[in-house]
Amino acid sequence: MPREATLLLPPFSRPPSRVAIRRVSSYQTDLATLLYETVREFEVPVRGKTVLLKPNLVGPDPQGMMNTHPAVIAAACETFLRLGASEVLIGDGPAMDRDTDAVVESIRLREYAGPLARVFVDLNVDDVERVRLKTHASRLKELYLPKTVRGVDFLVSLPKLKTHHWAGVTLSMKNMFGVVPGSCYGWPKNVLHWAGIDGAILDINAAVRPNFAIVDGIIGMEGDGPIQGTSKPCGVLVVGDDPVAVDSTCARVMGLLPEKISHIARAATMLGHIQEEKIRQLGESIESTRTPFAVLEAFRHVRQHS
Amino acid sequence: MREFCPVESARRGAPVCTLVEKEFLPFLLRAQNADGGWGYRPGLRSRVEPTSWALLALQEFSGTSPLDGALARGLRFLLGAQLPDGSWPAAAGQEEGCWVTSLACWALLAQKESLESLARGLRWLSEEWPGDARLWWRLVRRLSKDRGISAQDDSYSGWSWTPGTASWVEPTSHALIVLHSSPAALIPSGVSRRQELAEAMLYDRICPGGGWNCGNPMVYGVPGEPLVSTTVWALLALRGNSHRTENQRSLDWLERMSGRIRSPGSLALAQIGLDSHGRRIPVFGNLLRDLYERKGIPWSVPEVAWAALALSARRNWLNLAPTDEMH
Repeated sequence: MPREATLLLPPFSRPPSRVAIRRVSSYQTDLATLLYETVREFEVPVRGKTVLLKPNLVGPDPQGMMNTHPAVIAAACETFLRLGASEVLIGDGPAMDRDTDAVVESIRLREYAGPLARVFVDLNVDDVERVRLKTHASRLKELYLPKTVRGVDFLVSLPKLKTHHWAGVTLSMKNMFGVVPGSCYGWPKNVLHWAGIDGAILDINAAVRPNFAIVDGIIGMEGDGPIQGTSKPCGVLVVGDDPVAVDSTCARVMGLLPEKISHIARAATMLGHIQEEKIRQLGESIESTRTPFAVLEAFRHVRQHS
Repeated sequence: MREFCPVESARRGAPVCTLVEKEFLPFLLRAQNADGGWGYRPGLRSRVEPTSWALLALQEFSGTSPLDGALARGLRFLLGAQLPDGSWPAAAGQEEGCWVTSLACWALLAQKESLESLARGLRWLSEEWPGDARLWWRLVRRLSKDRGISAQDDSYSGWSWTPGTASWVEPTSHALIVLHSSPAALIPSGVSRRQELAEAMLYDRICPGGGWNCGNPMVYGVPGEPLVSTTVWALLALRGNSHRTENQRSLDWLERMSGRIRSPGSLALAQIGLDSHGRRIPVFGNLLRDLYERKGIPWSVPEVAWAALALSARRNWLNLAPTDEMH
């Protein structure tokens, strides 16, 4: 049975969302304890359930700049197991390099998360099923999506905090591009670009509905992200139960206006909250953690005080 | 520790590595599904891409009844998956063919009884133009403010991953390889112009230091990093021009890179790419074994097929004469 997707609701009928910002100085911090204590506050319904963590694995990354850091992935695994999940899987379908093993090896994921034989799913080559898209935000009418993504009980988006040269930012919603299988659509998943990136982000998120988001903002990327940008220490983990609210908060931390980032603004009409008054802020404040990110000229208009 | 040195196969008299005999071919036989096809990993549903790679590997080492039986069942699956327009879909249920058509044609090249299917596949390939070859797209791009973001010559085009989208290095390379290897009688007229455009596209998309990534050598003025797999496919597609500086620079990059590869799939492809140009990775078999033993993740059908093909001394699948007997 596919996971039950939350109904699409207009903003006025949704309850407020919750987003927590935690200050983290480095990947050597005890992330497992910090993340467990943070996620526990959300009382997520994962006891006895299968959880899929979807990190952002883009390509080989010996410098650790573009992919979700393995320490964050391992801490998230431990967190959901401690919260009672029966199984925690890690899955992604890298967009640029079809050798997923090479990507996983380059970030030394096994050293942090242990043996991967039973827990890692290469979403690029998983079994697929046809999903008719109901939102029609892009030109896509249907997508073949991995059965693992459709079959788990609880889906967690685990991106890195980065700017993106086409979408403005790549956070928990843009991260869902990685569930689209390369074996059907190629490397990169060019059909999503031709269908309209912003609309495709919405269609995919409406189809797979991530339940939770944990953004690795300890070291992010600014400028020409998601691959060729510059490393940007930001010192935060941003965690929440509404990907739109999490991405809006991340954008504000980055010194950007979420209302001017097309896919976030459009997602706020159907998937989650963008307005600060509809987001219950936990942990640190946005102001105290704000770290302005450099953006490409094409996105200068999304900067606060641009 | 077992030694993975080449041995003479008693069956065919051809040198076959024990790693192939004892590990890779048995794995492929065990991984075959009841419908005759292969999934990307054992237990997954049959798909055209892994089936094509498994068939290419089995064909390379065929001659015994278990391999020949598996081969026949695999071919039946592949022929049954072909769409009415001659193309093949990436997954069952898809009504539109895509990039895997080149791979299916490649797997059928050695099968004389499948010539009609092969011809239909080649016809589809020759008629399937990418979206970036359309006149309106080029006009829109010429007028777009984004036209300078990626440095590329829009007058060239190759093949796309899915119909109606842009040309990329890997599907273009696969199409060129299969067209170069196909019998002239089966190749539709007018394809030579497409091949010229596609080869020009590949050279246009080469990374500044040699090698290829998916097809973005320069974005916002920043040089892209090449990748092993795309570099190998492009080198195989362009092997008729091995004298060109770009090819030699890319081989140099691949040779330098091969010492740093940490995954069996890329290592096998690197060996294929280098070997097809008279170079090779020292102690390749031992490196491959070490990676497989160290890795704690399940074997993948395409990667095992590439590994077997990389250890083949015959190289029938590439239509290349062997350079020597031993690997």
